[in-house]
Amino acid sequence: MFIVLSPSNPDPMYRQVTDQIKNSIASGDLKPGDKLPSIRELSEGLKISAITIKRAYLDLENEGYILTRAGLGSFVAEIDRERLRSEKLGEFRTSLSGILATGAKFGIKADDLVQLIRQIQED
Amino acid sequence: MTPILEAKSLTKRFHDFTLRDVSVEIPSGSIVAFFGPTGAGKTTLMKLLTHQIPASSGTVRVFGLGYDDREKEIKNRIGYVPQEPNFYQDRSVEFNARFAASFFERWDGGAFYRMLDEFRVGREKVVKRLSRGQKTLFSIALALSHQADLLILDEPTAGLDIILRRTILERLRKFVADGERTVVVSSHITDGLGDIAEYVNFLSEGRLIFQSEKDELLARWKRVHFKDGALPPDLVGRLSDVRQQPFGSSGLSRDFLAIREQLAAGIASGDVKVENARLDDILIAMHQGE
Repeated sequence: MFIVLSPSNPDPMYRQVTDQIKNSIASGDLKPGDKLPSIRELSEGLKISAITIKRAYLDLENEGYILTRAGLGSFVAEIDRERLRSEKLGEFRTSLSGILATGAKFGIKADDLVQLIRQIQED
Repeated sequence: MTPILEAKSLTKRFHDFTLRDVSVEIPSGSIVAFFGPTGAGKTTLMKLLTHQIPASSGTVRVFGLGYDDREKEIKNRIGYVPQEPNFYQDRSVEFNARFAASFFERWDGGAFYRMLDEFRVGREKVVKRLSRGQKTLFSIALALSHQADLLILDEPTAGLDIILRRTILERLRKFVADGERTVVVSSHITDGLGDIAEYVNFLSEGRLIFQSEKDELLARWKRVHFKDGALPPDLVGRLSDVRQQPFGSSGLSRDFLAIREQLAAGIASGDVKVENARLDDILIAMHQGE
């Protein structure tokens, strides 16, 4: 698990926390059943208020990514990896359309990009 | 090009404090900030640069001239805003302004009263009834109204609210906008001033421990965030102010350009993230590194 909060990021802090925890779950870095840091630990470590972390954990719980057990803490839930994957695929799509738009500005077409991706994989 | 202000080995001894061996060259057309904690010698330095007090040793040259034979000429071209402006406390703003104006060759009363109105400082008001912020604004208006080429301000934003602080910083930026005029300013906080300064100096315990172009400073100093185990220990050893956490550690690098390549793989995989360091963090790291 790796969380970096950036004041220059336009997303609110709680959103930066939830996004990065989701990334850790999606990449398998956090596995179902893993215990998350306590609200207090995260709040001290990231130097943001406990309210913000509480809000992030609540959002994650509502979305089904984590479970909170009173007195025990928060744990990564058994989640539908297919759902997470399709969510990530959506994010990729957005990044790719950005890259395509940038390429178009310089006359780089989709075919050129596909070729570029192949080249990079071979390297 | 000759610097607009040049100090060589300036030393000032007091019975309980010494400002030691300060040398600076200030190029024209820029905003130059002197930061440092309370008691570092900022006010002493500002007073030496404006010749309010004599140096124990060392020299100051302003506009290429020396204070020993050209003091009047130099002071006519400097706008000085002291930390504690020396006004006639029982007299009005207007009385004090007239008195100050009598010392300047190029006094622009129109500009002065426009600025007073903009700063909402009443000209009839007795000085001792002005708030600390209003006194500073009055003093800044004076300094800006005799067509000075060089402004020297000692802690001008201390004790001001955020709106007034912004107003003053904007004024300073406008003052140097033509690329000819220069601002030298001291402060114990980097907030705001750090954004507009092009050169940054740092005083600590009576010594100038650091001077740099700000952009160069920010290019070298970075905060490096890294996932546990993403960096080899020798690289972590080169960072200062390391904060280790199970959910990601971070440290301050003072030579980012030298370690950039070693970090490239981590940056590409997302296990390492690099951010601009905050000026405060840099100054504190330097202060502790002394």
